[in-house]
Amino acid sequence: MEKQLSMEQVFQKLGDLKQFFVFGQKIVPLFKKIIDFMTDIVPLLENVNNSIQDTTSKMPKAAHQINSVTNATEIATSEILDIVDSMSADMTKIKNELEDMKNGFFNQRVALDKLINEYPSLNGRLEEFKSALVIDELESKVVGIEEIVKKIENDITNITISLQVQDITAQQLASVNHLIHSVQERLSSLLFDFNKTEGFQLPEIGEYDEKKHPFNPNARYDRNHQMQKVADELIQSNNKTSQEEIDKLFGK
Amino acid sequence: MALKFLVVDDSVTMRRIVANSLKSIGYDNFVEAADGKEALAKLNADDSINFVITDWNMPEVSGLELVKAIRSNEKTQSLPILMVTTRGLKEDILEALQAKVNNYIVKPFTPQILREKIEQILASS
Repeated sequence: MEKQLSMEQVFQKLGDLKQFFVFGQKIVPLFKKIIDFMTDIVPLLENVNNSIQDTTSKMPKAAHQINSVTNATEIATSEILDIVDSMSADMTKIKNELEDMKNGFFNQRVALDKLINEYPSLNGRLEEFKSALVIDELESKVVGIEEIVKKIENDITNITISLQVQDITAQQLASVNHLIHSVQERLSSLLFDFNKTEGFQLPEIGEYDEKKHPFNPNARYDRNHQMQKVADELIQSNNKTSQEEIDKLFGK
Repeated sequence: MALKFLVVDDSVTMRRIVANSLKSIGYDNFVEAADGKEALAKLNADDSINFVITDWNMPEVSGLELVKAIRSNEKTQSLPILMVTTRGLKEDILEALQAKVNNYIVKPFTPQILREKIEQILASS
């Protein structure tokens, strides 16, 4: 009886074993496919790893180059401002000279009129002399030059306004630098995940200190002063709005 | 009353542009500071400063922090403050108003805009 029970158990185990082999036959091709996939994917992952390492190592250089661009444009802008200042000083001198000339013409005219009144016997010869001096013509030329000077001064003001773009682009570049830093941090973390079993050293990345390098990510060169119009409207309505309402807007 | 301006901006270019603009509209008495920290030190040391023109984004002590510091100090709380900044979003402007700036200029600005804002502040104070 006991022998018969043992045999039944053996057959049952053999049945289990057979099922296992059948399952194995089904599963082995799947394992093979997984191994083939891994064989294909590992070099690809290594490529990705190398590429990330390469990109990450280049990022500090990119950030450094952006800083160099900012510094170079600041120096160039400063040089342009030097020239603009010098032009402004020259324009002031020219304006003063022109004013002196206009005063001179006025004085000449007054002196000649005085002579004409004092010596009527000269029978119009002084009028001829006065007309030969072409004072009116010269004076209108001076007025013309004054108009040109005014235009140059206006152009100088416009150059100064345009130079403010340096500050705006500096903030945009600082924003890009911040972005590069964030991407570098993320990639470094990926590199660490790829290489942690090999005692991999993370590339050095310093902390981006927003307190030391503040920027406005929304800075833009608004030559039409649309944002100024918004500011003016808000200030105007703020003069009518109570502090309580502003606090309410900020959820305080 | 003779005006003495404190021009605060971390950009050398912008300090020069603000200073030149002030000169072009007839104000030539001003001192400069490169950030909020330096501005507070200058305000502390020079009682004759009676008008502040400040940027917002500056290292260490920002323009907004400077405004709050000025407003919380009994000695300086009533100083006129004009903010000149690239920040032109509605939320930014409201935040500056909440900190009690007297007026607000979004860069780029013209000397005419600067004159207009200074005059508005002086007329209301």
